[in-house]
Amino acid sequence: MSNNQKETKNYPNKGKSLPVEKSIKDTVFNIFKKALEENIFDALLIPAKVPDTDAYSWILLQDESLFDIADPLPPVMTVQGGRALSSFSKNGELGLKIAALLRPCEARAVIELFKLHQVDLDNMTLITIDCPGAMPLADYMNDPKKIADSFKKISEKWEISESLRPACQNCHRFSLMDGTGPDLHIGLLGENNKVTLIANSPEGNDLLEKLGFESKDSLDKWKTEKEKLVKEKTKKRESFLKEWQEKTKNPDGFFNELNKCINCHNCMNACPICYCQQCYFDSQMINFKPEIYLKKSREKGALRFPLNTMLFHIGRMSHMVLSCVACGACEDACPVSIPVGRLFSMVGDKTQKQFDYVPGLNREDPLPLQIFKEDEFCEVETPNECEEKATEEVK
Amino acid sequence: MAKAIKIKKNVEEGLFDFLKSLLEKEKINGVFTLKKMDDNGAISYSLITSPDEFKDAVPLYPFMPVNAGKALSSFTLLGKTEEPIAAVLRPCELRAFVELVKRAQGDLENFLIISPTCGGVLSLNLMGDKNQEKIVSQYWTSVQKAEISPDTRETCQFCENFLPINADITVAALGNKDLDKEFILFLNSPKGEEFAKHAEGSAVSEEIETKEINEFRKKREELREKFFKETGKEGEGLKSLINIFAPCLGCHGCSHVCPICYCVLCDFDAKTHEYHSASLSLDLKNKGGLKVPTGNLLFHLGRMTHMAVSCVNCGMCSDVCPVNIPVATVFSKVGSSLQKVFNYFPGKDIEEPAPQGTYKEEEFKTIGEQ
Amino acid sequence: MNDKFTPNIIGFLCNWCSYTGADLAGTSRMKIPPSLKTIRVMCSGRIDPLFVLESFIKGADGVMMMGCHPGDCHYQKGNYNARRRYVMLNSIFDTLGLEKKRIGLWWVSASEATRFAKVTNEYTKEIEKLGPNPTSKEIFL
Ligand code: SF4
Ligand code: SF4
Ligand code: SF4
Ligand code: SF4
Ligand code: SF4
Ligand code: FES
Repeated sequence: MSNNQKETKNYPNKGKSLPVEKSIKDTVFNIFKKALEENIFDALLIPAKVPDTDAYSWILLQDESLFDIADPLPPVMTVQGGRALSSFSKNGELGLKIAALLRPCEARAVIELFKLHQVDLDNMTLITIDCPGAMPLADYMNDPKKIADSFKKISEKWEISESLRPACQNCHRFSLMDGTGPDLHIGLLGENNKVTLIANSPEGNDLLEKLGFESKDSLDKWKTEKEKLVKEKTKKRESFLKEWQEKTKNPDGFFNELNKCINCHNCMNACPICYCQQCYFDSQMINFKPEIYLKKSREKGALRFPLNTMLFHIGRMSHMVLSCVACGACEDACPVSIPVGRLFSMVGDKTQKQFDYVPGLNREDPLPLQIFKEDEFCEVETPNECEEKATEEVK
Repeated sequence: MAKAIKIKKNVEEGLFDFLKSLLEKEKINGVFTLKKMDDNGAISYSLITSPDEFKDAVPLYPFMPVNAGKALSSFTLLGKTEEPIAAVLRPCELRAFVELVKRAQGDLENFLIISPTCGGVLSLNLMGDKNQEKIVSQYWTSVQKAEISPDTRETCQFCENFLPINADITVAALGNKDLDKEFILFLNSPKGEEFAKHAEGSAVSEEIETKEINEFRKKREELREKFFKETGKEGEGLKSLINIFAPCLGCHGCSHVCPICYCVLCDFDAKTHEYHSASLSLDLKNKGGLKVPTGNLLFHLGRMTHMAVSCVNCGMCSDVCPVNIPVATVFSKVGSSLQKVFNYFPGKDIEEPAPQGTYKEEEFKTIGEQ
Repeated sequence: MNDKFTPNIIGFLCNWCSYTGADLAGTSRMKIPPSLKTIRVMCSGRIDPLFVLESFIKGADGVMMMGCHPGDCHYQKGNYNARRRYVMLNSIFDTLGLEKKRIGLWWVSASEATRFAKVTNEYTKEIEKLGPNPTSKEIFL
């Protein structure tokens, strides 16, 4: 896998606006159909509804008849797109040109997986789309028709509805960010009845050129609308963070949220960042003899089973939270409705800020734990000396 | 005539007192049982060693947050416990533990096994429900009347093996109209009799198989037929299987919580079953499209070949499935066919080898000769 | 499509009996159906049920498990295990309503070249009647 270094940093000022005739879906599909017909790419990764069921899943689409069941923005996120993309590309040598249509958090997961060598981006065009959110998987499975209907209404109005997944309600990165993430972005905000294509990399530019599109249309309207919604949702996110930081101020508050946990590891298995084939917390590294467990039990009077439930969550955090893209896949997969996505996203937020790191923003930003600076974090190491040094510098 | 004692207390309270006194008198060094985690309805298994902590124990609470057989296996995986421990588990959990011990994944020694005649457990998604208390009290009413509680797991609703096998002490709860005043402990082993001396009960002569129990079994058998008929419809085969598992996320939660699936690294999580990008061109050429991640059906069918013959019908897999796939019903249906073919009863006899690990020269003679 | 359907059949053949039997059939110039693709395993006891399932799911129209007759296995008991595995697969297919004819087990010894030719030809005919395995075109597996 080579390092796909991208030059663009500031996203472009111009894009290509396309009128919506039948539906947004139709307009978007027409672009893809053309790209497939002209062999600009060989297959498209996109969500689709499994025929005769209410279920959605990812497909690699080559035959155009499959557009009938494809859906760029289904009401639910089933498998996190990063996971889907990694599942077929991690061993490299795809031999095909593939485009992937992803929600922004899924694309951010792909970028993180790229840094972890779990995807092959050599022949991959990453396309993102303005995302209105998704509905909780459990709600959808209980009543697919009703939930799909309300999703339709919510997404048309870009409403920050309480019925969306909590991760989506609190998501301020639902659109294109100023970084080297996707190659192409599909803007839905801004003008009604217009879809805006925004190239975000030389590859993206190339793609538009090959499709015969010139990036000449102004992005102002899209930007204004987008920034407005970003602001609104940032506010929402901040109040979520505040509320949950308050709730979990002392360790008990945090652990109490996990009282119902049955240690099934669904959250880990749904998480795009947790890619390990053998999770440490499933391994034999944490087995002890019965007498050790009895000893542990005597220390507190009782020992919880399954063993290591708290260790699992804290440990998993230490493994991946710097890369948490706040997608909420974990929370969707939890059978006992633990707000595990919110907990991880909250801790992630704090930790990421400490390292000044935004997961999935730039392909070339190294993972924080893979690099270090000799003179950083002196405030953590030797707080007193650190203060002295700071005052000296000011002088 | 089975040995039995009658205790003149509410069944939950009576069992609680009995276990607590065993712990206090140091007849045992720990109780493995369900425990309240907070006031919001969270319940978890615990190994309780201090009588003080025992106050939150709820041995018969109708939840199965983890199959206790799996939990006890993780406790005794590296050797038997040297200290005596009482463990309260449900019949299917006990059967699971026996299957695991058979596979060298645990040790039954030094356990005093206590198990109830079982009315089932509530679906896990009811844990923390705002009506939890009400649902639980309705559950107990149905146990009293030996009726099938609609809030219990689908597998429980059709479970026929609700009387414990291999327990030292059986707590008779099902169909006991006077549950809140008195109940019976059946003492099935010398160990059970020994420990029961510390219970405040009086000897009675009763049989575990009552008219109520028999009728209850019949009701469950009927439901079993109904559920099996609805799942994986005959003749529709592949299509029906694809539709059942269509929403599957591949989270493998079902195998993770399955007591029989004990592998540290599941075959289907291993490198062997990763998709080879090299076959992508060919697959797309043949089919025009491909669901990713691939391997969904292979996982479920493959897992069946690994464990369904030992499926104890506990229902953990269905409860953990985030997309409501009736995994347990499908596995149970396949499991019961396999058990019939191999004449095998999972969890019954620790000496009986699991069907995959053995054979008889004289069986299936016509196969292969056609 | 008017082309005659030529099935794709995967045969897992034990080295000591069935594979040798197949070899003999070949050197004796018996007619073996071109649909059969053989994979040699040391013993029928080596045929992991997952080999069979994977072949089935990846679109094989039929899967043949073949080994020495009971009592003749070069590793004493491998074929008894194979037999149980086949019985299990068969029962799973039966219970789930999958086409159980698509998998089968045959004992063929090293000297039974005629039997090898007979069973492979018969099975091919049977699969031809059954038609292509729907898994070969199914996307959502
Ligand atoms: S921890 Fe949860 S929210 Fe964060 S990346 Fe993983 S699945 Fe998404
Ligand atoms: S999915 Fe939920 S119950 Fe399972 S381990 Fe994660 S937090 Fe615990
Ligand atoms: S499956 Fe049977 S034994 Fe297990 S909890 Fe349900 S009713 Fe009880
Ligand atoms: S499916 Fe098979 S390999 Fe995986 S855990 Fe279960 S028994 Fe083990
Ligand atoms: S728990 Fe459900 S979603 Fe997860 S692998 Fe099993 S069947 Fe699929
Ligand atoms: S060697 Fe032929 S079946 Fe074992």
